[in-house]
Amino acid sequence: MATATATRPPRAAISGDTFTGTGTLVRFMLRRDRIRLPAWAVGFAAFAGYVISAIPLAYGTEEELGSVVSLFGDPVGRMLTGPGYGFTEPTFARLVANGYGLYFVILAALMNILLVNRHTRVEEQAGRSELIRAAVVGRAAQLTAALIVAIITNLVIAVAVIVPMLGAGYEASGSVLFGVAIAAGGLSFAGLTALTAQITEYSRAAAGIAGAVLGAAFVVRAGGDMAAEGGSALSWFSPLAWPQQTAPFVLDRWWPLILSLGLAVLSTAAGYALSARRDVGASFLSARPGPAEAASWLRSPLAFALRLQRASLIGWGAGLMASGLVFGAYTDALLHAFEDLPDIFADIFGSAEQIVAGYLGYMAVFMALLVGVFAVLAVQSLRAEETSERMDPVLATPVSRVAWLGSYLVVTAVGAVVLLVATGAVNGIGAAIVTGDTTHIRDLTLAHLNQAPAVLVVLGIAALLFGVLPRAIAATWVIIGYGLIASTFGPLLDLPDWAYNLSPFEHPARMPLESFDAPPVLVLIVVAAVTAAVGLVGFRLRNVNVS
Amino acid sequence: MSTAISTAALTKSFGQTRALDGLDLQVNTGEVHGFLGPNGAGKTTTLRILLGLLRADSGRAELLGGDPWGDAVSLHRRLAFVPGDVELWPNLTGGEVIDLFARLRGGHNKARRDELIERFDLDPTKKGRTYSKGNRQKVALIAALASDVELLLLDEPTAGLDPLMEAVFQDCIREARETGITVLLSSHILAQVEVLADRISIIRAGRIVESGTLAELRHLTRTTITAEISRPADPLENLPGVHNLTATNGQIRFEVDGNQLDPTVRELAALGVRSLTAHPPTLEELLLRHYGDELATRTGNTRGNA
Repeated sequence: MATATATRPPRAAISGDTFTGTGTLVRFMLRRDRIRLPAWAVGFAAFAGYVISAIPLAYGTEEELGSVVSLFGDPVGRMLTGPGYGFTEPTFARLVANGYGLYFVILAALMNILLVNRHTRVEEQAGRSELIRAAVVGRAAQLTAALIVAIITNLVIAVAVIVPMLGAGYEASGSVLFGVAIAAGGLSFAGLTALTAQITEYSRAAAGIAGAVLGAAFVVRAGGDMAAEGGSALSWFSPLAWPQQTAPFVLDRWWPLILSLGLAVLSTAAGYALSARRDVGASFLSARPGPAEAASWLRSPLAFALRLQRASLIGWGAGLMASGLVFGAYTDALLHAFEDLPDIFADIFGSAEQIVAGYLGYMAVFMALLVGVFAVLAVQSLRAEETSERMDPVLATPVSRVAWLGSYLVVTAVGAVVLLVATGAVNGIGAAIVTGDTTHIRDLTLAHLNQAPAVLVVLGIAALLFGVLPRAIAATWVIIGYGLIASTFGPLLDLPDWAYNLSPFEHPARMPLESFDAPPVLVLIVVAAVTAAVGLVGFRLRNVNVS
Repeated sequence: MSTAISTAALTKSFGQTRALDGLDLQVNTGEVHGFLGPNGAGKTTTLRILLGLLRADSGRAELLGGDPWGDAVSLHRRLAFVPGDVELWPNLTGGEVIDLFARLRGGHNKARRDELIERFDLDPTKKGRTYSKGNRQKVALIAALASDVELLLLDEPTAGLDPLMEAVFQDCIREARETGITVLLSSHILAQVEVLADRISIIRAGRIVESGTLAELRHLTRTTITAEISRPADPLENLPGVHNLTATNGQIRFEVDGNQLDPTVRELAALGVRSLTAHPPTLEELLLRHYGDELATRTGNTRGNA
């Protein structure tokens, strides 16, 4: 036996041994995620329950839905929510599934990206995989176990969404289809992440590439869905569109999910193929040697803060400007889409110019929210500098705490403003190219710059938490999440003024629809400065990296 | 002789855990001071207080004549620090990190830097995430040793270095002492401290339990004697200060307290000594005495009884 084992050709890539230990690893991963996965399931159930119960409360009866639903069905609404099935004869169930479904799928995609990355490349980068692989564990067991956990989790969130829908008395066929569509959409991103985790050695890059695919999928389907009701050919190039094309409670068709599952299977297969051809911890994008000496400009805390955030700034800049250009270029499609609508829509929404100005104004807020995400992530990575003990040696040099945190915040703040201005300019260029109206470039650059103080408030609050209550930095995400809900769904939910005022992004004027208004912008700048200052003082007074 | 570091009754708690419990540490200017203790004894906490990263709950700490918390920035111009677990930035090369730290500290001696890179055999063009643990440690060591400072705070600086590099490290510390640099060397590698340190402080459960030169510490402990004798060993058995006597076929072995050495050797001489070896306590034995009760409860034997 021993001889037989020893002489077995080592290139038998797929054998029974390849998957040895998968079952144990599945249980191990479920054990590690015993808080996280139920929390996601509860989150999905709560989101579904909230939408299901809030809509009847806000709109009364299904008969009254007609005027509201046209907001979802118009081109801008479709850009933000999906192809707009079923809005000609709206029901509560149709509005839930086809008006809000996109956001369920986006959440599921994020959950899957984080889940698969957490159990594959994060483990490898931390060196924990070697411990696992040194045990009686097959070559493909970890990846397989991660995907099985992803399948289990997606099934659980499908049930978590289906149950409240059935509880509300929605049709069973549509409810089940909606839940399964979310799970299938999530799985396509689990597969993509299984692939990206093989490509790069660096877990943040693996999640980043998958996240970039998600962002591109959103942009592509936004344009496709805006162009025509029910989506256009462009929509079908987006993995986010397929779950929505099932049109639950309207067409109730299952076959678009073949595309979602097909993508999951193909990308997973590619992931396995790459995984079998590489070493543990290695990748296909290997690290190149760098300079033996630091560049001469790298000599101050400010320069160091810039060096640390440079890659992130470049990545965000590229992603935001690409999206800005595409969203700007959609302006023309928007105008054409409105030409096809009956005149009555112009009475409700105003002239085509106003629609475009409203759309571009919303774009400025949307981009500012994304730059807010950049700002929160920047402060979170500074916190990671601290908890990974990289900050100790920096603070052991003659760099004061205020100088270090201050330098970092200055780079983030200036970076955020530059990102907004660049995105606004490119957004304007995109709009100018398709409409031939070059004033868009100046208008949109200013409209985006006008939102910068709101981003700075987010940064200031994150800095305050970093200085005073560093473990609670993640609470800053509430501002981003609330800001997105208020700006996107506020008009649909008929929010009162005070509820709008809670979001810093609602305070600057909606340029270019409205004209510039200085006082709110100045107030936001003061709030940002004060919160950041409190954060600086707090950081000076607290212990560094005490868990 | 002036004092580079002094702490008095320093305490620091993290929640329920008392990390420092009245720590009194004295480090003289120009000496290499070994700071010995097992994991979790409070070595790193002490160093982080001395760096002004943590604020002590009570007690007094003085570093180079200043307050480690209040004067952190000006003091940091005069010291360099090497953490025990060096984490580097994934996308910065080792060379970039060395230069960056030197520049943040204000001074930059290029020749010294290049010489150290050569001696420690470091490839400065690799990115932080591709270095092994030992190589990350080298990056931090070179950054510290290349800077022009009065005080080196080293927290288990050679964890992960191979024996060749350990020797290079020891040479560098000796050179540093020759130029008058004070070194606080926290370690649990006894051989390293034994070779390098002028004075030693042993920390245990947040307090200094022993402090002095190696010679002074040895005085406090027992010498182990092995001898071959021609007469029965009975007269030794009841001598004060003799412990763990074993005798088989004229071969005897026992331990004797430092202050009882003279009368014991006189008694031994009368027994017809044919061969004799005596060795002073190693640091292992010193430490075992201090952690003996811990070991005893952990392993169930009484080897370290005092």
